[in-house]
Amino acid sequence: MLLNFERLGMWKWVLTGFSVLVAMFLLLPILFIVALSFGSSQWLIFPPPSWTLRWYQELFADPRWLESALTSVKIAIIVTICSVILGLLASFGLTRGRFAGRETLRALFLTPMIMPVVVLAVALYAFFLKVGLNGTLLGFVIAHLILALPFSIISIGNALDGFDRSIEDAAVLCGAHPLEAKLRVTLPGIRHGLFAAAIFSFLVSWDEVVVAIFMASPTLQTLPVKVWATLRQDLTPVIAAASTLLVVFTVLLMFIAALLRKGFKS
Amino acid sequence: MSIITSTTRFAQEPVRRRRPSGFAYIAPALLLLILFFVVPIASLLMRSVLEPSPGIGNYVELFGSLTYVRIFANTFLVSALVTVLSVVIGFPVAWLLAIIPNRWGSILFAIILLSMWTNLLARTYAWMVLLQRTGVINKTLISLGVIDQPLVMVNNLIGVTIGMTYIMLPFIILPLRGVIKGIEPGILQAAALCGATKWQSLWRVLIPLALPGIASSALMVFVMSLGYFVTPALLGGTANMMVAEMIAQFVQSLVNWGMGGAAALVLLVATLLLYALQLRLFGIGRIGQEGQ
Repeated sequence: MLLNFERLGMWKWVLTGFSVLVAMFLLLPILFIVALSFGSSQWLIFPPPSWTLRWYQELFADPRWLESALTSVKIAIIVTICSVILGLLASFGLTRGRFAGRETLRALFLTPMIMPVVVLAVALYAFFLKVGLNGTLLGFVIAHLILALPFSIISIGNALDGFDRSIEDAAVLCGAHPLEAKLRVTLPGIRHGLFAAAIFSFLVSWDEVVVAIFMASPTLQTLPVKVWATLRQDLTPVIAAASTLLVVFTVLLMFIAALLRKGFKS
Repeated sequence: MSIITSTTRFAQEPVRRRRPSGFAYIAPALLLLILFFVVPIASLLMRSVLEPSPGIGNYVELFGSLTYVRIFANTFLVSALVTVLSVVIGFPVAWLLAIIPNRWGSILFAIILLSMWTNLLARTYAWMVLLQRTGVINKTLISLGVIDQPLVMVNNLIGVTIGMTYIMLPFIILPLRGVIKGIEPGILQAAALCGATKWQSLWRVLIPLALPGIASSALMVFVMSLGYFVTPALLGGTANMMVAEMIAQFVQSLVNWGMGGAAALVLLVATLLLYALQLRLFGIGRIGQEGQ
């Protein structure tokens, strides 16, 4: 009985032991970075000789770190809004539309998700060089929007598939304008899909490195680009501090997502 | 079209119009995609046969030079290695995750999600620090007496393989968990009743039943690995370049758009062929279901 945990006998312990090891393999590097960011050693000696907040002071003292973080947030928020709106419209069309080539178009919309990002990065870089969008906020937003849209379309599309359309029709039957029915009946009905789309889009933009490396200019860079550029020089603990803040941010987002999911269930 | 909708529309609209096809909804996103996705990529690929002079010179150079062929081989090798490792390590975890009582399962699940959602650069940095000559791993091994000289684990294939496997594991575990959850426990019960030992049940029932899921997630990880840029560049160094880094080098350092476009086309064709294979074999499946 391999699919009943209680009846696995000895194997239960083998599987559990192995999984604990894998969980440690996944978790320890992250905890290690958090510990290092408070360590006093410039050379990342572990365990650290003493504890300090010096690297965080250095991080916050350097205006470029803060600037790049703000740029990242700004881009991610704009991308999130556009991605949810465009994704919502496209999902409506793809789920309910009746036109030739619908499946082909769906495949086209999802292609950026499976493409090697470096190909898109290089292609957009060449294109933006011609039209002068490199190193601009708009360029960043467009590039990240292309990458975020598939996630948005999948999240919202799944929610729409699971939404019983006759509820919307009933609203219309009761005298609502079709648009009003969509806004006041359908949208609340698929809100978990909208939230998922928003969180995914934000994370895609916030974490994106490869395209950003190509789009960045000396005066405009996102946080990942700043980390990347610093990493290419040396392994300073300042990056450990920045990474720790990113981990904290991620945990917060996961927490929010979990709370939202609980909220939707109740 | 249900009866409800037809009557409402009749009541709503004195002038009967045809129901709109819904294409208008797609237009804004489609326009964005054509302008900033299809056109740039098409023109990049065009440059590979137009610059510096029209013809297939770039491709001849790409496949004729030992340096470039070695980079392709290297990429293929690392991706295959990472895929095999991820499947072998990931399968038992996915299996446990599918059958474990909820409380412990959700802790394990949270750890997997946390590692998956932690910034890629932060994770790569962690491995750069862990694997360096004076890093924790070397120091521990030396103090345990396992080795007397520090192992060189960064700027070579070992570092890239460890770092990439670390990143790809969740992409194997999460889909496989769903696959194993979907297997009917009665089948395993039947195998046990018919006298199959645990090993026989595992190799001749459970694994064959999970095989489509294993193959599909393995293929996905392989394709993702082929085009990976950040982790190989940081952990592998220039001596062990992979294709993605080569494309970036062509464009950024050498400003050779022809060669960059040619290498991009090769990577793109490999990726799309493998995805087409996946669609053919397993259907649309669980693409995009990770992390939900």
